[in-house]
Amino acid sequence: MSAIEPITGRYLTATIAGRAQRIYFEEAGQGRPILCLHTAGADTRQWRHLMNDAQVTGSNRLIAFDMPWHGKSLPPEGFQTEEYMLTTEAYIETVLAVVEALGLERPVLAGCSMGGRIALQLAALHGDKFSGFIAIEASDFQPAWYDIDWFHRPDAHGGEMGAALVSANISPYAPEAERWNTLWMFQQSGPGVFRGDLSFYTRDDSLIARLGQIDTGRTPVHIIVGAYDLTCTPEDAKRTADAIPGATLAVMDELGHFPMSEHPHGFRPFFIEALEKMPTAMAEAQA
Amino acid sequence: MLEKLQAMGAALEGQAHLLRLGRLFSETVLLRVGEDEYYLTFEKGRIAQIVQGPSRKTPWRFALSTDAEALERFWQPRPEPGFHDIFGLVKIGRGRVDGDILALVKNLRFFKEFMALGRQQQNEGAAA
Repeated sequence: MSAIEPITGRYLTATIAGRAQRIYFEEAGQGRPILCLHTAGADTRQWRHLMNDAQVTGSNRLIAFDMPWHGKSLPPEGFQTEEYMLTTEAYIETVLAVVEALGLERPVLAGCSMGGRIALQLAALHGDKFSGFIAIEASDFQPAWYDIDWFHRPDAHGGEMGAALVSANISPYAPEAERWNTLWMFQQSGPGVFRGDLSFYTRDDSLIARLGQIDTGRTPVHIIVGAYDLTCTPEDAKRTADAIPGATLAVMDELGHFPMSEHPHGFRPFFIEALEKMPTAMAEAQA
Repeated sequence: MLEKLQAMGAALEGQAHLLRLGRLFSETVLLRVGEDEYYLTFEKGRIAQIVQGPSRKTPWRFALSTDAEALERFWQPRPEPGFHDIFGLVKIGRGRVDGDILALVKNLRFFKEFMALGRQQQNEGAAA
């Protein structure tokens, strides 16, 4: 048996913080643009199931990109002597640069984990550039209970350790094949990249003070969280949703921290429900 | 509990990938289950011996402390949230890791999959 999937991949070049970044992106479907952000230490492949879902792509154009240093996006020139440390500012600039480079008109922004965190930052600071926000496994802030330096050291494989750590966040309901496909991305992650992402995720608490600025009347915010997520627990997500006037929350009893990747069948109805909460392309055109 | 741990040690022998993953792991791990102590000595990824404590003379590299009921729930085929992973036990306040945590993290997949061998034992026991 052979099959060719509808997902297509291309590259764009954008200037971010004054430096050229070659960014890989994939897309599938047509209609309302949905820009999808992967988690820390992973890449666009986390979104592959939804991008292959004809019901989703029938009226939605799903676009996902690999952050610089991740997946098929190279690090910037000179990276070999740099310490990769993601910041809120650089992350915001990257997402906005991709929106502009692709000419997206107020897309829905869907992000998971650190992607969900930055989605909420963008909801607070640049809500006018998007039509709605789906924040998956997203919360205001959690400090690390581990030492992020564990994941970048010369005497151990950061990817294997990172995968073993994040496996704690995968639901036992996840099909075995998808559990391991999800972990493979962490095992493949470049040296120091997971650590640099975690630096952003576990040390920057600037979102807490901004949650109240989010105008869900203009751009809806829907938060989705899995009960097996130890990193962003349902309590963390609820606290965050409660601090955003008008935000809605869905708890998935049988899913973990990487729902679209670890258990696509279980996540699907929650993502479709989230899309239904977002403005349609027609409503956007009339706005 | 001692028999259970010994059965897990025997099951480890049948897991070629774990023996490969654990080939550099030669450490003693202290497992505290409530008031009981078990010293699990691994030698190149195999269980060399399991000694029931208490013992003040046995050095250990890292320790996992939990309770029997939490372990029982951890070993269910589909554990409840928090009971599905050793770090989940820590997160929900039913477990604690002490000692050289980095030694655990460097061998995390190996040790977690060893601990999860109890699920297999549990299921086989339930089916019997």
